[in-house]
Amino acid sequence: MWTSIWLAILGLIVGIGIGLNMPLFVPPVYSKYLGIATLAALDSVFGGIRAAISERFDNVVFLSGFIGNALVAAVLVYIGDRLGVEIYIAAIVAFGVRLFHNLAAIRRRLVGK
Amino acid sequence: MSLTMVTVVLGVLLAVQLRSTEPPEDTTMSIDRAQVLTQELQVLAKEQNSLKAEIEDLEQAIASATQGNEQAKKALQSEIAKNKIIAGITPVVGPGVIVTLSDFPRQEPPESNPQLFAVRDVDILRVVNDLRSAGAEAIAVNGQRLISTSEIRAAGAFINVNLTPVASPYVIKAIGDPEELKNLLEMSGGLAETLRSWGIGVEIEMADRVEIPGYQGARFEYARPMAKDGRG
Repeated sequence: MWTSIWLAILGLIVGIGIGLNMPLFVPPVYSKYLGIATLAALDSVFGGIRAAISERFDNVVFLSGFIGNALVAAVLVYIGDRLGVEIYIAAIVAFGVRLFHNLAAIRRRLVGK
Repeated sequence: MSLTMVTVVLGVLLAVQLRSTEPPEDTTMSIDRAQVLTQELQVLAKEQNSLKAEIEDLEQAIASATQGNEQAKKALQSEIAKNKIIAGITPVVGPGVIVTLSDFPRQEPPESNPQLFAVRDVDILRVVNDLRSAGAEAIAVNGQRLISTSEIRAAGAFINVNLTPVASPYVIKAIGDPEELKNLLEMSGGLAETLRSWGIGVEIEMADRVEIPGYQGARFEYARPMAKDGRG
């Protein structure tokens, strides 16, 4: 359980290092997509950590959730852009709520038992 | 393991997102710059429009000016010709009279003052004056055209006209109505009679064609035209 968490933190550090050294620049127009993708990844990571802590981690569920969430969020952003309605806020709210929910579960697990 | 991969992806995304949004000043600056440039463009477009309108106005002005130019030129040329005649710098020809004044023909005694019997400057002046009052348009004395600055003045044994000494006989040519000119001089009690009574030979001859030369050497060292507002 703890190894997976440490691996996750290590992966985060490695990823930030790669990202900072990548010669990639996202134009401001697409920063919305990137932001929603980041949020989806964050949500998945917390969900994964929670699952790992409660010993219920499943690779297929985790990966499909990550990819599916990110895709649906991107589609929502695209549709919102087309319609002029910021539907992606729905995704942000959903991700945010779940994020804090997972965080609370992790906290309770670690602190309160 | 997949968790680690996803966190790597998350890290990359976070870093890229941070780097992309890191220079927010740049993007806002560029947006500001775009606005500034847009405003500038609008201002310049307006300016260009007004300048184009000005060009059109000026072209119209040029067109009308060139149109009027020919007429103005003709008017100016006729005005110049007229003024030249008035100023007396162009030779003129026309009907008129030729008045010849000659000194007293008698042999005067040697001791007497010859000036007493000669034609004097005032005699010529009076003839000229009478001719002018009879409507003479151009007058010359012994080939010296009389203009606005001409003088007729005794200088010793000679009489100066236009600073040029002239001597008897004095031939005064005048252009005007020949009858009128002659009648004014010859009327009874008139100038010709007076002069003849003083012993001066006066001959008045009407001519269909009197040629009067132009004045040579008109120059103005001191006088210059005054502007309409009174400044020199």
